[in-house]
Amino acid sequence: MEAVRRSFLSSITACVVVALPFLLLACGDDDAKPTAATVGVSSSPAASAAAAPRKGGTFVVSASSDPGQLNPAITTAGGTHFAAGSIYNGLVDLDKDFKPAPDLAESWTVSDDGKTYTFKLAKGVKWHDGVPFTSADVKFTFEQVLLKFHARTKAGVEPVLAGIDIPDDLTVIFRFKTPYAPLLQQLNVIEAPIVAKHIYEGTDIQNNPANLKPVGTGPFRFVEYKKGQQLTLERNPDYFKPGLPYFDKLIFTIIPQDATRVLAFENKEVDYVSLPGADVARFEKLDGVVVGRSPAGSGGSFCVSTLIPNLDRAPLDKVEVRQALNVAIDRQRMVKQILFSQGDAARGPMASTLWSFDKSLPAFDYNAQKANDALESAGAKKGADGNRFKLTAVMPTSQAKLAEILKENFAAVGVALELKLLEVNEANQTVFIKRDFDLGFASYCNGPDPEIGVRRVYDSTNIKPVLFSNGAGYRNPKVDDLFNRGVSEVVREKRVPIYTELQKALLADMPYFWLLESRNAYAVQANLKGLRPWTSSLAEYAWLDK
Amino acid sequence: MDGRLAAYIARRLLQAVPLMFVVLTINFTLVHLAPGDPITFLAGDQGSTQYFAEQRARYGLDEPIAQQYGRYLLNAARGDFGYSFSYGQGVFSIILERVPATLLLMLTAQALASVIGIFGGVLAARYRGGWVGTFIRTGAALGYAVPVFWVGQLLILFFAFRMGLFPTFGMESPRSDYLGVRRILDIAEHLVLPAVALSLAEVGLLIRITDASLRDLEGADFVRTARAKGLKERTVTYRHMLRNALLPIITVLGGRVGTLLTGAVLVEIVFAWPGLGRLLFQAALTRDYPLLMAMFIVSSASVVIANLVTDIAYVLLDPRVTYG
Repeated sequence: MEAVRRSFLSSITACVVVALPFLLLACGDDDAKPTAATVGVSSSPAASAAAAPRKGGTFVVSASSDPGQLNPAITTAGGTHFAAGSIYNGLVDLDKDFKPAPDLAESWTVSDDGKTYTFKLAKGVKWHDGVPFTSADVKFTFEQVLLKFHARTKAGVEPVLAGIDIPDDLTVIFRFKTPYAPLLQQLNVIEAPIVAKHIYEGTDIQNNPANLKPVGTGPFRFVEYKKGQQLTLERNPDYFKPGLPYFDKLIFTIIPQDATRVLAFENKEVDYVSLPGADVARFEKLDGVVVGRSPAGSGGSFCVSTLIPNLDRAPLDKVEVRQALNVAIDRQRMVKQILFSQGDAARGPMASTLWSFDKSLPAFDYNAQKANDALESAGAKKGADGNRFKLTAVMPTSQAKLAEILKENFAAVGVALELKLLEVNEANQTVFIKRDFDLGFASYCNGPDPEIGVRRVYDSTNIKPVLFSNGAGYRNPKVDDLFNRGVSEVVREKRVPIYTELQKALLADMPYFWLLESRNAYAVQANLKGLRPWTSSLAEYAWLDK
Repeated sequence: MDGRLAAYIARRLLQAVPLMFVVLTINFTLVHLAPGDPITFLAGDQGSTQYFAEQRARYGLDEPIAQQYGRYLLNAARGDFGYSFSYGQGVFSIILERVPATLLLMLTAQALASVIGIFGGVLAARYRGGWVGTFIRTGAALGYAVPVFWVGQLLILFFAFRMGLFPTFGMESPRSDYLGVRRILDIAEHLVLPAVALSLAEVGLLIRITDASLRDLEGADFVRTARAKGLKERTVTYRHMLRNALLPIITVLGGRVGTLLTGAVLVEIVFAWPGLGRLLFQAALTRDYPLLMAMFIVSSASVVIANLVTDIAYVLLDPRVTYG
């Protein structure tokens, strides 16, 4: 008998079949998001620091994805920042109101013309390997690392930066070509983590072994990274902020599935979990557990789920049609059925928790009759099939529920919506790169300043084949000008009216349909104090009571 | 025999070289033609066009696919399979780190499935007409049919959460610094639920195959002879029938072991088991091309090797089969 029973061809088939399901699986995944500005975590606990903080203990944080490499200066990937934010520092921290606070820089001054920022660095800061931290590290990090590899900081700072001077070991001066307002919001450990010159200089920075064994200045130092399993950090005994941190150990354990993560928390195997919307109500009734909510994840990421009309195509090129359709959308139903009430209906182009949001904006109307009338007077008459026109909506599969609600809402006003639900990567490519859509979808997230993430959506110079750019193809010179004025006005109080005017202009044009704002919910045990989940250094001040 | 065996293995491995080449080509094409763009994961979502172009060039992603493939093959021939996009580390060292966890889980599940499956199959065959047989066969069908991620969730919910018998996730307790025996026990404790979840479908399959193979042998001459000699039923079943029924069972087991290295994706995700399946899943999600390709090479090679081992086992089990 012949022992070689399998033919060459059938073996090939077998091997390819082994490969195929994973590609398909990947293609069908709903939760896959491109590198998120959103670091998967949330909010601020009502951290009352009445009792004196207690030292010691281990804090186990559950994370949904493996961090990958651990150098936060070369990526905007949420997984890396969530973990590595505790190992590094930025020059400037953000407090829970997103106001600048000292970190590696203990103080700073801004010149009257808004073009020069001078930072005094904290004294006695050491890298985890004992080498002293100096201004040379800051200059090197910006010039050789951040402005080369950190997509957001590169995009924001590079075009306007004239140079960085370091007159002495503890002084750093940033010089700009034009007045630049948002800098202080862009220097935290997410936007601009400072890495060690002596580790990275002259090396292949993206593949430097230190990216997997990081040496930072942060509150916790690296112990071990078991990929796909856990990252173990320990207290940095030489941390430059006296007394901090309190925990002996900080562990990030990786649990990809929501349901398992939630059960692990309930079983007290982990101490921190970000909560899926559907679990929040149940968790609020649990004893000994605190549920927190946040307008933003670490370092910002105020996200607005947004429907993108293709303004190059009729009939969405008409503002009357867009205004009419906007009134046809039942946002409250979306809040209930999609966010499980863990969020709000969007009220405009900026997240309502961002400082520049115009708080006087009312909620959007939902009125099918009004929408019908407006469409009628905009000249979109109903045809023989009862439809005024047809639209193709290209959306990621993760938004299937939202797409169905939209379809019903639009059908009620005589607009037929054909849904094309695609794997998220393909959906994004179709909308932003191929531009083959009537309606697209994006969750636009931004940092703690309109310059970080908001501007890219509306700026007419940002209409290009880049993901999460100005996908609608919106052009309004007045809007461009308002953004330019906003970025060059250094005093925040003077910026507010500029952005108020900007929001009014955008609402009049309705270049996008702003749908939902989600609120990240998380749970911790009730005796955990001092958590700072809006930064990515979430356990720097955290401690366990009792 | 030894000389012939060695020659046989050598020949089969040589045959595998063109096979691997074809597999590599097809997988490379599939991976690169699948929608999605690794640049989003590499460079973030708020970069400038120029930055994206730079990064594309850096990773050679701007070249035509044939050129990329040529370069990949050249590098591969030199033993350079590239750096993972997301880990910035050589791909095979990343894979190697994950092999122990996967082997532990898969071998435990296979061992569990083999013992329970074959024994269950024998019982089902022996008590074919009665309720025991029906019960086992129904159970097997159920075990084979229920989705593993669902069973996994139920196991966690009941045995880990409600009963508190096992941990809910992972391979080791995050808080522990166990060493030696205590660490082995800790891992064993974590292993139970995923291994059970993973073995369930295998058990179902093996019961049905063992049962069916034994049934096929029921009328065979050697079985009748054995019974006529007055041998006990137990001896007839285990000594005479099962040995002959093993051939199809081995084939099935061999086929399963072929997918061993990457086959447990869902179980690894549900139980947060840090094995290769999850690595493959993550690599596919982030379009980590070098890592993805290396994983396909490893899984293809394991199919080839498992087939070879199955064939050799065949010869050892059945003297009528020779090396072709």
